[in-house]
Amino acid sequence: MAEAHAPTAHAQHAPQGFIRKYIFSLDHKVIGKQYYFLALFSVFVGLLLSILMRWHLVWPDAHIPLLDKLSPVGAPGGLMTPEYYLSLMTMHGTIMIFFVLTTAPQSGFGNYFLPIQIGAEDMAFPRLNMLSFWVTLAALLTLLSSFFVSDGPPLAGWTAYPPLSAVGSVSGPGEGLGQDLWVISIALFCVGALLGALNFIATTLELRTRGMKLMRLPLTCWAWFITAIVGLLSFAVLFAAGVLLLLDRVGGTSFFVPAGLIVSDKILSNHSGGSPLLYQHLFWFFGHPEVYIAILPGMGITSHILSCFSRKPIFGYRAMTYSLMAIGFLSFTVWGHHMFVSGMSPYTAFAFSVMTMAIGVPSAIKTFNWLGTLWGGRLRLTTAMLFSIGFVSLFVSGGLSGLFLAQPPVDVNLHATYFVVGHFHLVMGVAAIFAMFGGTFYWFPKMFGRMMNETLGKIHFWLTFVGVYAIFMPMHYLGVEGNVRRYSTFIDDFMQPLLPVHKFMSIWAFIVGGAQLIFIFNLFWSMFKGEKAGINPWESTSLEWTVPSPPPHDNFAGKIPVVYHGPYEYGVPGAEKDYIMQDSPEVVAESH
Amino acid sequence: MASHEAVSIPGATESVWSGGASPYAVVPKKLGMWLFILSDAITFAALIVAYSYVRVASENWPRPFALWPSIVNATVMTVVLLTSSVTMVMAVRAAKLEMRKAAAGWMVATLSGGILFDILHVREWLGLIDEGVRLFKNPWGAPMFGASFFALTGLHMLHVTIGVVYLAVVAACIARGKLTSDDVEVSGLYWHFVDLVWMFLFPLIYLMSAKTA
Amino acid sequence: MENAEHAHGAGSKKLFLAVWIALLVITGIEVVLSYQYLALKVMLGLLMTLSIVKAALIISYFMHLRYERRSLVLTLMPALIFVIAMMFVVFPDSIRLYLMRPR
Repeated sequence: MAEAHAPTAHAQHAPQGFIRKYIFSLDHKVIGKQYYFLALFSVFVGLLLSILMRWHLVWPDAHIPLLDKLSPVGAPGGLMTPEYYLSLMTMHGTIMIFFVLTTAPQSGFGNYFLPIQIGAEDMAFPRLNMLSFWVTLAALLTLLSSFFVSDGPPLAGWTAYPPLSAVGSVSGPGEGLGQDLWVISIALFCVGALLGALNFIATTLELRTRGMKLMRLPLTCWAWFITAIVGLLSFAVLFAAGVLLLLDRVGGTSFFVPAGLIVSDKILSNHSGGSPLLYQHLFWFFGHPEVYIAILPGMGITSHILSCFSRKPIFGYRAMTYSLMAIGFLSFTVWGHHMFVSGMSPYTAFAFSVMTMAIGVPSAIKTFNWLGTLWGGRLRLTTAMLFSIGFVSLFVSGGLSGLFLAQPPVDVNLHATYFVVGHFHLVMGVAAIFAMFGGTFYWFPKMFGRMMNETLGKIHFWLTFVGVYAIFMPMHYLGVEGNVRRYSTFIDDFMQPLLPVHKFMSIWAFIVGGAQLIFIFNLFWSMFKGEKAGINPWESTSLEWTVPSPPPHDNFAGKIPVVYHGPYEYGVPGAEKDYIMQDSPEVVAESH
Repeated sequence: MASHEAVSIPGATESVWSGGASPYAVVPKKLGMWLFILSDAITFAALIVAYSYVRVASENWPRPFALWPSIVNATVMTVVLLTSSVTMVMAVRAAKLEMRKAAAGWMVATLSGGILFDILHVREWLGLIDEGVRLFKNPWGAPMFGASFFALTGLHMLHVTIGVVYLAVVAACIARGKLTSDDVEVSGLYWHFVDLVWMFLFPLIYLMSAKTA
Repeated sequence: MENAEHAHGAGSKKLFLAVWIALLVITGIEVVLSYQYLALKVMLGLLMTLSIVKAALIISYFMHLRYERRSLVLTLMPALIFVIAMMFVVFPDSIRLYLMRPR
């Protein structure tokens, strides 16, 4: 019965040599790890950049050691210029959004666990999967190489708004080759993301094992699936925007550049006829779905972990899937809320404002369902569980300020301030990072066959949890006080009194940055020295916990499981154990 | 990759969505190509929207295409592309009937249509460049005319060219007994998509800019 | 039998030729239409309607979607139509740009 699929002619043999096994591997598990480590490397680059920025913000006269080695022009004597500050900000944003938030929870964990959780031997298109990773790596290297070109990295922000990003080196250092590399990197990233997305969709639809009905999919799989759909539809638009921006830069077209523009006291005579607003529309058509691409997998992972460590079925499984769908759908209807100060038609702005508040409804459904899952549960406060509860906390704290920003009259005042920085870091950045930490602690035993250290994990959690609130909560206050974002120093009189708040935040930023070293130590130490993990250390129910840790090359050693149960059957009355595995033929009177 | 043809499911209540079967009864790579086409169609849609946006916002958008040579040329290109779609359909049909040589022959006919399309298009481009149309200027009016024309038709031409190479590879493999009729069908989907995009570019770029008076 | 095989029967050759001729005829109508003195909006509407008909023919018959399971159509088409429809939200700004141009 367990061998529903007859062994095929393509029966998989594990490749032998090092190169085929670890470098150009077709195995989704290896590719998942490759994505994970790519994101891990990127997140530390991004973190380092943010620490440099926080350093400069509060001690503008401090000479930062080694920085002048990286860029003698951008930071002469270790003292960064305002332009170089913007370059670091741009690179921080780009690396974090694309190569961390988009990469780790979706491409990393998704690649590793989607096929196993649905009972498949691999992704639908293993070669395409490998190609996606290598294209993504090429994109990362292209982006990082802009640190080493003569003018340094671009300074137009992760959104690369034209005209600044479109008119070339006349508009500032880094706007020459650096910005070209940025655009090429993002276009490459789009290709990798699109190929990955179509692979995820085809895998989820085509390769579910027998009995894995759609309503038996773990919420992680639902989240990866819907994220892939959102990615497929939105990265295509970013690709178009990237092509046009590149044409504006190197082909001399003016899709995004109006006539009569004055840059550096000179009238640009070689551009006319375009509109920066067009770029903003195209960019945010992708950009808003993108923030859900970052957070949806985190929601899935959090749901999965909360249910497991509450020893209760997830509260409202169907409501959870429908709200994921609703968020995916609505994410395409709200992009204009990034553009309230852009000069967009006020009628459209009104529509976007309404839709933005509407997206709060499915988000709230999810939040209440998470709380409902926790309510009355027999909580096991493992590190993974702590990070998942932390996710809910951060998602609520960051999400509430989104309702302020959804209203154009409020947003006009707050848009260019630290309020927005605080908002999106909490709700998208740190929340998604917490889901990644949660996922790491939860799945590490499966991925590496050993347990991570729980004591170190909890120290890391508490430092990070308290720290991120200490960093990002004051930003809301600063924003209301009118503290402008994107400035490298606060020399205006009205911003001077706010400097102590910035010092407080910077010190916490250093503490949180340092706390991440605990995580890195824990990760690599546990990989080699951690306690050996059994098949199912968390007493979890989904299919990845039915196979050895780490799983064999084809996941199920030829015995494709058949699924009889939903993914969250914890604490089922009348069952033999506290939980029922998805592939267990055990029959109990179904409670729902 | 394991093949996942529909497995018969015991129990009448289970639907095709219950797992263990392809819900669409297609091979995964066909679904993959459809998904690729979906995203590529959106990329083209975004570019067409960008073109329309710039055109609506501009004054004096030129309408320079005379009946001869431009409109006639573009119409012939349309006919060529449509005809190549028919030969592609015939190729798929032959492949399904396991007539590999015939399938390869029809595919060669198809990609010849693609090459002819490219040649006609490049000739058109060169003519316009001769008249002084560039990415950033043109002799007639709104400067973005050249940019949008070359960007849209250029990206489409790139798709045609990639399609020609793709079809050539598949045709060569089919003739040598490699690959299956599914691969021909999947490459056909791509080719028809390229055709389909042109069905929108032709009226929007050429006909809407035809010189009428 | 929802399978696609029956679509490859001998009779379908005629069908493909009929579709091809229909496409050519519509193309001809489009070309002729573009030389009629119609308001730009009317012309655009007519041309796009005809193009959508052509696209539907290509998708249904050449790309075979008519013979696939309805679920595949329902998977692909709503997403495409929805995303393209959402893109039209940019046009109010483009029209404003034209109307607010200094003259």
